[in-house]
Amino acid sequence: MPCAAACLAALAACATFSDTIQSTEHSLAQQRPRAALIEYEKLKPVPADRVLYLMNRGMLLRMSGDYDESTRTLEETKRLSEQLRALSLREQALSFTVNDASKSFVGEDFERVMVNNYLALNYLERGQLDAARVEALQVDLLLRERRQRSSADNPYAEDAFARYLTGIVYEDEGEWSDAMIAYRKAYEAYQKQLQSFAVAIPETLKHDLIRLADRMDLAEEAKGYREEFKIAETLSAADLRERGEIILTVHAGLAPDKRERATTVPNPATGRILRIALPQYRSRAQPFAYASVSADSNSTKTSLVENIDAIAVKTLESEMPAITARAIARMAAKDIFASAASSNSNDSGASALFGLAVNLAGVFTERADTRSWFTLPGEIHLARLPLSPGEYKLKVELHGRDERVLDSSEIKVTLRKGEKKYLSRHWIPTNLEVKP
Amino acid sequence: MSHRPSLRIGLALLALVTVTACSTQVERLQATDVKDLSGGWNDTDSRLVSEEMIRDSLSRPWLQEWGAARGSKRPALIVGEVRNLSHEHINVNTFTLDVERALINSGKIDFVATKDERKGIREERKDQDINAREDTRNAMGRELGADFMMTGTINTIVDPNGDTQVLFYQVNMTLISLVDNRKVWVGQKEIKKLVTRSKLRF
Repeated sequence: MPCAAACLAALAACATFSDTIQSTEHSLAQQRPRAALIEYEKLKPVPADRVLYLMNRGMLLRMSGDYDESTRTLEETKRLSEQLRALSLREQALSFTVNDASKSFVGEDFERVMVNNYLALNYLERGQLDAARVEALQVDLLLRERRQRSSADNPYAEDAFARYLTGIVYEDEGEWSDAMIAYRKAYEAYQKQLQSFAVAIPETLKHDLIRLADRMDLAEEAKGYREEFKIAETLSAADLRERGEIILTVHAGLAPDKRERATTVPNPATGRILRIALPQYRSRAQPFAYASVSADSNSTKTSLVENIDAIAVKTLESEMPAITARAIARMAAKDIFASAASSNSNDSGASALFGLAVNLAGVFTERADTRSWFTLPGEIHLARLPLSPGEYKLKVELHGRDERVLDSSEIKVTLRKGEKKYLSRHWIPTNLEVKP
Repeated sequence: MSHRPSLRIGLALLALVTVTACSTQVERLQATDVKDLSGGWNDTDSRLVSEEMIRDSLSRPWLQEWGAARGSKRPALIVGEVRNLSHEHINVNTFTLDVERALINSGKIDFVATKDERKGIREERKDQDINAREDTRNAMGRELGADFMMTGTINTIVDPNGDTQVLFYQVNMTLISLVDNRKVWVGQKEIKKLVTRSKLRF
């Protein structure tokens, strides 16, 4: 009996994080972020899942329009994941003997960068430009440090959107050279990652590069961009300063679903059960194609700036060899424990039973680490719309891949000369089924 | 049965250890004590920088020159924006308040309320105009105009290498004459820290 109880307890403790998020997803699909937040806050995360809990909570708060609390939560996420960077021998040991999900969740690199990105967006939408600039500097540090320790063949060596957003912040601050450098880095990153993440250089970035190169008298560079992008005319920096600008980000869909893929087989030689469990991403359907923004006679379209879905999938792919190696080592270790347990007593009946219990415990605890920041959008799109100072009724239409209008909304905005207004729209489809 | 007492003592000890581990520990510190926890900007930095700034600004010639030209009248200052251009979210307000307080208390300078504060005071004065007794009423249009505006920036340079990083803070403060935009004083204070992250945790 105690053995069975122990097995049950172990099983309950190992119920993966994604098992408990169904109802949150359900509310999100119904476009009710506030209800999703309430559902999600019912979760009582174990200390190891604290960072993940905060990430999701911060995102749900943002979706519900509570920017200040979202900012506080994401700042706490950042602080905590910084602390957890130190290696824990206890957790390493657990990850080699029990499972990977027993380690403290710190988030993948792209998830940590996303914390900074969303904080920057929170600050920008609240009109706190200098605070957004702090995030820009932090993301630069994070990416710089990442480059120091990661291998060159990692597809996610840079975060193109983070660089682009950073450039927008610097340009808004009037720090032209920093903005130019950030735009250039974004441009290079989009070029390099086109193959892996399928994000072309955003239309807006092309104009930004030309405008900034002109502003800084980089005639050769500006000429190069004009030829490459086939853009003859663009608004000059001086003209842009005379107008206001709407910068809209659309956060569409949800990040892919991380699931477990497990194989359980009996070993005919020993009669014991072997199990191996690995994580796997399943992309969700993405019906969203682009958004159109219009005010009076001015209108523009968004372009894709970040494909989180692809980044998540590729990141996991690049880590799969290490995860698989750990899983195999774990399987072998658990089998050795079970073998030792069954042969460690004079009473053959009792020892067989004990061996079975140890074997079952090992099998039950073999779970894949399926924790991921699931409230992240699948894709981020961005549009910039310069407008003369004045009051506007901004019309935002979300279009599907079949040109159908998915959603339409109107926002009242007042723009002053030289002012930039940052707006965002989260949209999640009703159908959250994963792709087969 | 003989091992029962020892077991009981053991359990009691265990309970005691658990209880101590769970209770929150509070240690009172002096405001001037230096405690660096995360390596980031903290109260000690804010205090050190503001003290240095004040000492420096009061010992410079602009103050004497001002006094010589205008007799015994003290210069009136206003705090403009202190911008945080560092890589950390710093509460700039506590820092500017530190500077302001020490300058006022030096007795050599008058401070004028900031833009936001003035709004509130003007409203109060308007209210007095209608509701206060005539002999206690404060008239409008008698505000003290500032002679100088103090502005500043906090900058950082970070040089990370693995688990070690050098943090370099540079705080600049400038005093600008409102008469002719002349910069009469520029103060600078630098703080350098070497922060080593622990490689291991429990």
